[in-house]
Amino acid sequence: MRDRESHLVAGGRRWLVVAVAAGLIAFILGLLFRPVQAWSAFLVSSFFFLTVALGGLVFLAIMYVSNAGWHTVFKRVPEALAACLPASAFSMLAILAGARWLYPWTHADAVLHDELLSAKAPYLNTGFFAARMVGVLALWVFFALMTRRYSLRQDAHADIKYTRRNVVLSAIFLALFPFSFSMASIDWLMSLDPHWASTIVGLYQIAGLLSTAVAAISIVGILLRRRGALPDLTETHLHDLGKLLFGFSTMWAYLWFSQYLLIWYTNLPEETTHYLVRLQGGASFLFYLNVVLNWALPFVVLLRRPAKRSEGTLLWTSTVVLVGRWLDIHLQVVPAVAPDRLQGPMGIGFLDVALLLGFGAAFLLMTDRALGKAPLLAEGDPYLVEALHH
Amino acid sequence: MKSRLFVAWFEREDAILEAVRAARQAGYAIEDAYTPYAVHGMDEAMGLGLSRLPWVCFGCGLAGLLLAFGFQLWTSASDWPINVGGKPPASVLAFIPLTFEFMVLLAGLGSVAALFLRARLYPSRSPRFLLPRVTNDRFALVLTRPDGHFDAPEMRILCERAGAVATELVEASS
Repeated sequence: MRDRESHLVAGGRRWLVVAVAAGLIAFILGLLFRPVQAWSAFLVSSFFFLTVALGGLVFLAIMYVSNAGWHTVFKRVPEALAACLPASAFSMLAILAGARWLYPWTHADAVLHDELLSAKAPYLNTGFFAARMVGVLALWVFFALMTRRYSLRQDAHADIKYTRRNVVLSAIFLALFPFSFSMASIDWLMSLDPHWASTIVGLYQIAGLLSTAVAAISIVGILLRRRGALPDLTETHLHDLGKLLFGFSTMWAYLWFSQYLLIWYTNLPEETTHYLVRLQGGASFLFYLNVVLNWALPFVVLLRRPAKRSEGTLLWTSTVVLVGRWLDIHLQVVPAVAPDRLQGPMGIGFLDVALLLGFGAAFLLMTDRALGKAPLLAEGDPYLVEALHH
Repeated sequence: MKSRLFVAWFEREDAILEAVRAARQAGYAIEDAYTPYAVHGMDEAMGLGLSRLPWVCFGCGLAGLLLAFGFQLWTSASDWPINVGGKPPASVLAFIPLTFEFMVLLAGLGSVAALFLRARLYPSRSPRFLLPRVTNDRFALVLTRPDGHFDAPEMRILCERAGAVATELVEASS
């Protein structure tokens, strides 16, 4: 299929390619001189963009299962995000190559001298870890590809049977997603510090993924609308996206607080270390900033109705939430891998930023390509009329 | 005191929307529009501003937050400090869940109470006038004229042009 102009990156394509190249060079140099930093930065950005792509798929699945029609105007946006899932999956697979820099349980001698790690070895070992990773990634990619395929076929045939097929696919996906994503969060993030355990980590990451998804969809949708490519995205749609962002960001805060409160109450040394590391010295600034970016700011800003309906306000609030989500994952990963790294001026290094920009640029280019592959308005979708009169 | 109201009946939502716009253009005051369900675009057509209910909700929520937080702080840290699990008496974290719940409770009850009071829905109140079919399948538009000048035939022509199926005059207790 001939690629259309999608307007998302427009004239910035060259700069994005430069950013991808710069990120790649920074990563290679990092691998040579500071492998631990390079891999932790890679894991943070890789996981962050995986949640953006997977979030697009989860958003679509929720819409299909709930028989919603309002999102049809911009449904190509979450579809395009989900189309980046295969590439995100490959970047997560690359973590397998760096596992020995990140996960303490990959070292045989460490496991041997640690009672807890020995006890966890049947689950936390390189072979099983890789198998689980390949399994969940393959599962998500399968659903992403199938949903997209049926949606594109509907453009040509305008048949409701494709919607019905996607409803069935989405229902199965939504039943599998919480378990698979919880497992992935536990494997990829929580096992960085295998002595620490929290039963809420999976749910916490799911809440984060949902607010990431809504924020990313809003940003791409608004950018397309500003360039005149998506004129049918009205402020009523933005209002609903704003409500979702408000709700999911509050749900994230609820779970963040639930974890913090329980660990504070029980006050067990093996659990409190998680917060102690993150609250010492300069790190405490980032710790509180995380809550401000992910919840306090979007909550206060989006509380009023006009704010949710305003294109500009929703755009920058969504950007703040995305930055906050990246920081959230950064604060999960980096202190676990290298506790002293947070004692620097900001706790965020050059490599972290370089990789974030590189990954971000690559993700934008891929989203743009996916958007260009199909008409922005899903003409064949029977729900389009309903969405246009939303 | 009794007042006369002009009521036009419609069968479709686009007809009543058109009548609302025409009536406002002609200078009639819209007493109210009664519909079996929320009609999209009716607020804009009637020229209603934003609802002030969110501010009531916000105020009640804020009151609940301060009350619950202040009360817990007073009982556990000031009036009768108790050592619970070695935590300091003013452990703000432990107060948050109850503060949150009480904020939601007062905000919710306050909004509903404000709505009922403002809409004058309380026991023993008799309705000003009854339009039974609006809870079933009809849309009713009630018109008055702000300066007291009441030209029923003119209103009737205007509404019928927009698609009214029937019109009538209703006596309302004010």
